[in-house]
Amino acid sequence: MAEVVTRQFVPASQAAVKDVQLRQALRRAGSGFDGTRREAIAEVSEEVWEGWREQARKIKEHTIGHLDYYLAMLERNVAAAGGQVHFARDARQANAIVSEIARRNGVKTVTKSKSMVSEELGLNHVLEANGIDVFETDLGEYIIQLAEETPSHLVAPALHKTRGQVAQLFAEQLGVPYSEDIEEMARVARVALRQKFLEADMGVSGANFLVAETGSLVIITNEGNGRLCTSAPRIHVGLAGMEKVIPSLQDLAVFLRLLPRSATGQRISSYVSMVTGPKRAEDEDGPEEFHLIIVDNGRSRLLRDPALRESLYCIRCGACLNVCPIYQRVGGHAYGWVYPGPIGSIVTPGLVGVAEAKDLPNASTLCGACRDACPVQINIPRMLLHLRHQQAESNDENERTSSDTDKLLARGFANVMSSPLLLKLGRTVGRAVSKPLAKSGKIGETRLPLISRWTQARDLPVPAERSFRQRWRDELSKDGR
Amino acid sequence: MTSANMGIPSAEFLASVRDALGRADAPPENAYEPLTDDLATLENRAIEVRERIAGELPELSRRLGETAALRGWNVTRCAGVEETLDYVVSLARRLGATSVPRSEQSVFDDVPVDAALAGVGALCWPAVYDGPDSREGIRRRLADSSMGITGADYAIAETGSVIVLPRRGLSRLVSVVPPVHVAIVRQSDIIGTLDDLFALRRLEYHQNGQSGTADMGSYLNFITGPSRTADIEQTIVVGVHGPREVHMVLLDEE
Repeated sequence: MAEVVTRQFVPASQAAVKDVQLRQALRRAGSGFDGTRREAIAEVSEEVWEGWREQARKIKEHTIGHLDYYLAMLERNVAAAGGQVHFARDARQANAIVSEIARRNGVKTVTKSKSMVSEELGLNHVLEANGIDVFETDLGEYIIQLAEETPSHLVAPALHKTRGQVAQLFAEQLGVPYSEDIEEMARVARVALRQKFLEADMGVSGANFLVAETGSLVIITNEGNGRLCTSAPRIHVGLAGMEKVIPSLQDLAVFLRLLPRSATGQRISSYVSMVTGPKRAEDEDGPEEFHLIIVDNGRSRLLRDPALRESLYCIRCGACLNVCPIYQRVGGHAYGWVYPGPIGSIVTPGLVGVAEAKDLPNASTLCGACRDACPVQINIPRMLLHLRHQQAESNDENERTSSDTDKLLARGFANVMSSPLLLKLGRTVGRAVSKPLAKSGKIGETRLPLISRWTQARDLPVPAERSFRQRWRDELSKDGR
Repeated sequence: MTSANMGIPSAEFLASVRDALGRADAPPENAYEPLTDDLATLENRAIEVRERIAGELPELSRRLGETAALRGWNVTRCAGVEETLDYVVSLARRLGATSVPRSEQSVFDDVPVDAALAGVGALCWPAVYDGPDSREGIRRRLADSSMGITGADYAIAETGSVIVLPRRGLSRLVSVVPPVHVAIVRQSDIIGTLDDLFALRRLEYHQNGQSGTADMGSYLNFITGPSRTADIEQTIVVGVHGPREVHMVLLDEE
């Protein structure tokens, strides 16, 4: 499985907010993606959009609620089309299956189209350890493979890199002249990968959707690399998390409307490829073998908890990342694993364990922008709160986030907030104590016990001279309202 | 060619999913609507779709042209076969194409591109394997070609997409390997929406199923505009791994 450094969230995010280039990249990408997403929604009207979201959510609710049934249907129909489904409990098993398929077929070269599951599995390293050359072919993935990095965004993996950094990388790794011309860089990648597509023995793809009714795998790309990976090599291996299945071909329409609009604001991506089994005897074009690997790798843990189950409705569009005030400041790498942003803060603890990723559910302002942006209406803030609650109440020392002092403080805060008298007293005392420490109404970074943990990340405002209740009584309610 | 499941047995995997859901091994209590459609229902729906399309055809064709242009196609409306051939020939001239692969589709029976291109010294050839060794040879020839021509199994007005299905003659690679792709769309290829497409394909799938060979075909591919990327600084570049230039010829039959 891919390396998990989720415990480093706090230092990693502190470093990230000081990275000027990263901040620029995030600002450009966030506003760009979200702007085009909003335009695409306005074009079809808010009302139509809401109808689609409703419809998609119902489909996901039904499918995930009967997942075993639809996986069985999918398996039957993939087999009927001449393909083979393999089920993998965890990353180790999934990697072993791909390695075995490669070994049996004497595979030397693999081309890959973008797959977040393969990132999750750490598949490339395993194949490379078996002496196989692996080439990522999505431009963004190709860049981060050359840089030996991991994706920082669900749909734009190299979002954190500036054109200068890519130019530098290409010059060093590919021996081409340094050029910051983006068109030239895309041409360099095209030339470098063109021959690989036609030579590769095996193509590995992810899956945006799996259609149970027909046994089909659907991938959506813009570059055309997915189509080449799944048609040119002798063997096609599809990798999918087990939540990717939808019941009927008819259900696909609404997802093809929602996903590109939510991801990049496109009305549809350039290439939607639906693959059903290997090439037939009468086809001249296409792989001789088709394997589909269905991966659990912790997903049944999310499935088991009714409060977290809806995280499996996610279609990995990245819209929640593009609107999240935290992701927009710290970027994807700070989250420490494959799935960043709001949805990642739920999925990651589910897949790698709560104890590994304690900070992630807390890396949110609970503003709710993610829920509003989600094309399948996933209630992300509710689940983040649920995880925080679980952590606070956990009996497992490794999972618990709150100390006894925290609990005492929280209880005290609750008491003060529910009593007008105590609140008034607290405000007066708080103001008296904090005023001498403050500069222009705020306490900045300080070493004072208790409040230093607050002030290391944000200012602590001094309570106002006059409380809201006073102002209400004296001024705001004067006109009798 | 099917080998054994190399992971855990599916029964075991599915049992663990059921266990997580707290569910018995049974179909959903309320049958899922689209999956309960019988053949008669699918047939009726397909007839409705076809009738509606026939009734709206001029409007759908107009919308297709409009949407396709927005999605990056160079859209040309040709009044007949002559005009279509002229357009294809002028494109080949501009590109200096000497070798033009095409798919083997019925549209080329009506639109004889081979002869027209031969007139300007370009060899237009159906990308068909003619022997076990020709696979690599054809791929090399495809990679060296500057333009490829296909028909459309469907063209969707809603999305501006051309759909290609498997057939003798490599339509998939013809559409994606050369840097320029020309798709010739007849009136009869045009459908309205994604829902139309899936209604028609579902009928086809289940009809095949009746004769014991349920088959979707090995692929169903959408092409919507040129190959593009925005992976470096969100700047859009066309022509990454697929064609940089795509042409949709809307053939209004005489």
